[in-house]
Amino acid sequence: MFKFVVKRLIAMIPVVLAVTFVVFTIMWFVPGDPTNIILGNEWSEAASAKLKAELGLDQPFLVQFFHYTTNLVQGNFGMSYITRAPVAEQLMARFPNTLMVVAGAMLFCVGVGVPIGVYSGVRAYSLFSNFTMVVGLLGISFPIFWLGLLLILLFSVYLRWLPSSGLDDGFASLILPSLALGSNYMANIMRITRSSMLEVIRQDYIRTAKAKGVKARDVVVKHALQNSMMPTITVIGMDVGTLLGGVVLTETVFSIPGTGRLLVEAINKRDTPTVLGCLVIMAVCIAISNLMVDIVYAYVDPRIKAQYGGGKD
Amino acid sequence: MEIKKINEQENTLEIKNLVIHYISDEEVVKAVNGVNIIIKAGKTLGLVGETGAGKTTTALSILNLVPEPQGKILSGEVLLEGRSVLSMSEHELEVMRGDKVAMIFQDPMTSLNPVHTVGHQIAESIEIHRKVSKHQALKQAKEMLELVGIPSERSNEYPYQFSGGMKQRVDIAIALACSPDLLIADEPTTALDVTIQAQVLKLINELRQKYHMSMLMITHDLGIVAEVCDEVSIAYAGRIIEHGTLEDIFDHMRHPYTKGLFGALPDIGVRRSELMPIKGLMPDPTNLPSGCPFHPRCDYVMEVCSQSLPENKWLSETHCVECHLYKDTNESML
Amino acid sequence: MDETVKKYTTRREFFKQYKKKSRLQETWNRFLRNKLAVIGLFIIVFIMLAAVAAPLIANYDTDAIRINVPDRLQSPSAKHIFGTDEVGRDIMARIVHGARISLVVGCAAIAVALFIGGALGAIAGYSGGKIDDVIMRCMDVFLCLPDVLLALAIVAAFGTNLVNLTVAIGLAFTPKFSRVVRSAVMTVRGVEYVEAARTIGATNTQIITNHVLINCFGPIMVQVTLYVASAILTIAALSFIGLGIQAPIPEWGNMLASGRVYMRDHAYIVMAPGLAIFLTILSLNLLGDGLRDALDPRLK
Repeated sequence: MFKFVVKRLIAMIPVVLAVTFVVFTIMWFVPGDPTNIILGNEWSEAASAKLKAELGLDQPFLVQFFHYTTNLVQGNFGMSYITRAPVAEQLMARFPNTLMVVAGAMLFCVGVGVPIGVYSGVRAYSLFSNFTMVVGLLGISFPIFWLGLLLILLFSVYLRWLPSSGLDDGFASLILPSLALGSNYMANIMRITRSSMLEVIRQDYIRTAKAKGVKARDVVVKHALQNSMMPTITVIGMDVGTLLGGVVLTETVFSIPGTGRLLVEAINKRDTPTVLGCLVIMAVCIAISNLMVDIVYAYVDPRIKAQYGGGKD
Repeated sequence: MEIKKINEQENTLEIKNLVIHYISDEEVVKAVNGVNIIIKAGKTLGLVGETGAGKTTTALSILNLVPEPQGKILSGEVLLEGRSVLSMSEHELEVMRGDKVAMIFQDPMTSLNPVHTVGHQIAESIEIHRKVSKHQALKQAKEMLELVGIPSERSNEYPYQFSGGMKQRVDIAIALACSPDLLIADEPTTALDVTIQAQVLKLINELRQKYHMSMLMITHDLGIVAEVCDEVSIAYAGRIIEHGTLEDIFDHMRHPYTKGLFGALPDIGVRRSELMPIKGLMPDPTNLPSGCPFHPRCDYVMEVCSQSLPENKWLSETHCVECHLYKDTNESML
Repeated sequence: MDETVKKYTTRREFFKQYKKKSRLQETWNRFLRNKLAVIGLFIIVFIMLAAVAAPLIANYDTDAIRINVPDRLQSPSAKHIFGTDEVGRDIMARIVHGARISLVVGCAAIAVALFIGGALGAIAGYSGGKIDDVIMRCMDVFLCLPDVLLALAIVAAFGTNLVNLTVAIGLAFTPKFSRVVRSAVMTVRGVEYVEAARTIGATNTQIITNHVLINCFGPIMVQVTLYVASAILTIAALSFIGLGIQAPIPEWGNMLASGRVYMRDHAYIVMAPGLAIFLTILSLNLLGDGLRDALDPRLK
């Protein structure tokens, strides 16, 4: 098992590298001279040339990329063109906030979405199940930024229960953003869990379990659940990416000082290092969550575990 | 496994006038249309019929596992050792299943849970019905494995590591783990190769003789019936159209369908004769013919056959048939 | 011999027509039985009609664009069904013209994705082996970034004019499409009638056009529908954060963004645009799901 994890970690590196390359290449095309932004009023031909040499901006593309990645592995994300402070500093300040919102959303989705999905899969033709299906359909179509606005209208403006922006009120300020961000995600998880459970319940081995006299609740919990988890786990893992995409919107709606808003500001100000830094960190998160999905897979399905030498050899 | 004491007088299983339909928005599948079955203690009944005759559905009703919500038991009684299965509560059913009656299903490839070890799946049955510790149950499970011819060291392995024949043996081990009074075997060898078939049949036969189990053997293979069964019921379109002892059916068959079944078998002695299949196809259970369901295919069809269902006629103490041909027969004519 | 071949070819074509028509009919019937899918169809058709009829409903320059400060922030009334925005423009007019923009850009973006991703996926799926591996590796890298972020990066580099935006979003969806097309092609490639066609001497191109593409058509259409919904959402999202379609061009996303400040006292200002986005995406999702269920009833 350990070998498996290490192997996957190593496999992750070229992927992250490749993503960094892609992002770097795209940002290469940003028009304009960075020295204009950095030097501002102090711009002159000479100063510009000197700065370019310093920052290595006059080097060919691949050399620049090489420098960038070597710096990256040391934790050096470069210098922001605007603040002239290390990008890493800003990321350290902002990223935890993003993580909190994302974690909140995931908790909400898995904690609420999975049980509802399981229950409506087991009680397939009930009113509850149909209701879940409808809510699920509506949920995946609801634009999260609109939902955020509506939630603010209801809970902050009208009811005055929850804050509408910032993270100053601690836990309370996380509730609305997590709800908004997690809505699509939860609806999706609900649907997938439900349909997966429906599939599994129809299987022959469930009938065998019942024929053995296994109690109804145990049939679901001990037999059906493990087998139905694969698609759900896939969705939970894959959608981390969607969550990170959505967090940009959520932070904008709720004015949360996180990586998402940093990214938008940096794009507007043509602050390429910061943009790169945000994107790279997000890509790393996604790669890590993919890895976790694979690990959990191996845990849940003994056939996969065996493939990676996890069982008794 | 314990060897049970059987009350020779009691019937292990009695099914009376069972009617089960599958009802969906688009159509009604009339799977079982008035089935009567009696299995005496310690005896084996062969339930013979082609696919779609309603055999599996009848078997599932004994465990009250007919798939809901489409499957509806419209009328009839199922009495297991005198107790009505259809009126039991969920809890009572859970106690009964696996302990008093157990079932071996048709397809061994899909009837085992892929994420549990085989040892665990056998032990689960024991844990539920006998108040023993997990450790004890696992020990007994290993014994069951040996009993069905699988080395007990393999109890930690997963179903995907076994072949079809071995999976079927695991199924048998699960079914027999708590020494049920009635074993239902639903075409247990159909999905296996011929050589494995013979092995599995032999195993089932040995075990049921050793432990005095009653058995319902569902099959479409008359060879298996000859080897294993004491009595035979022939099923067609959800009805039992003929029933009798092995001798009654094999040597004195009466119903045209039964005759057709035997006629369709190749006779090794007379190599040059033609195979005589029964003309036509099994009727569509959503659209059954009027009167006797076999009449469109029957060589002896009469006008009355399309108009009314034949009544059950007892030709001897053990042999009965549902056919208009024998309406006015009495014993002396045979 | 040539005569027979010719006769057979025309006979085959005759039967092919017949088979295609009845399968289409069957699929359509199944689709119609799905109430949700039909509702979705109605809604999206309604939106499309509104988009097409936009210039008839409201003049672009006078109603949707021109600033009219005295009329600002009026609540919904008979004159302005959805009210007016912060600079006095009729929201209904902007919604209807916004529909045009969203639908056109969305479809165009997906067309780009389908073209590029589809070509790549078809090549990968049909060739298999090394080529498949290489193409899919490349696509996998892109899949590590969610659509919004990838589109953001491209927009950051290339700017937010309409064409670049369309291409950006198209490129963001290309990897997803390549996967879809690839798996559709691979499924069909293995089917017996492809082998059969080969044995009677059909060339690769013939096989692709006559057999492979026709059978991929269904699943691909399903994905196209669902991805158009995503694309429209992405456009709205990008416009919402200011990196998509810029003011004064009416787009539902940027309408939400600019109206947001006034939301507390004029809640209606965020209702219509949000509802428009929601209904468009919902109807496309219902339609896509309905198509999927109609094409393969086994999935029920």
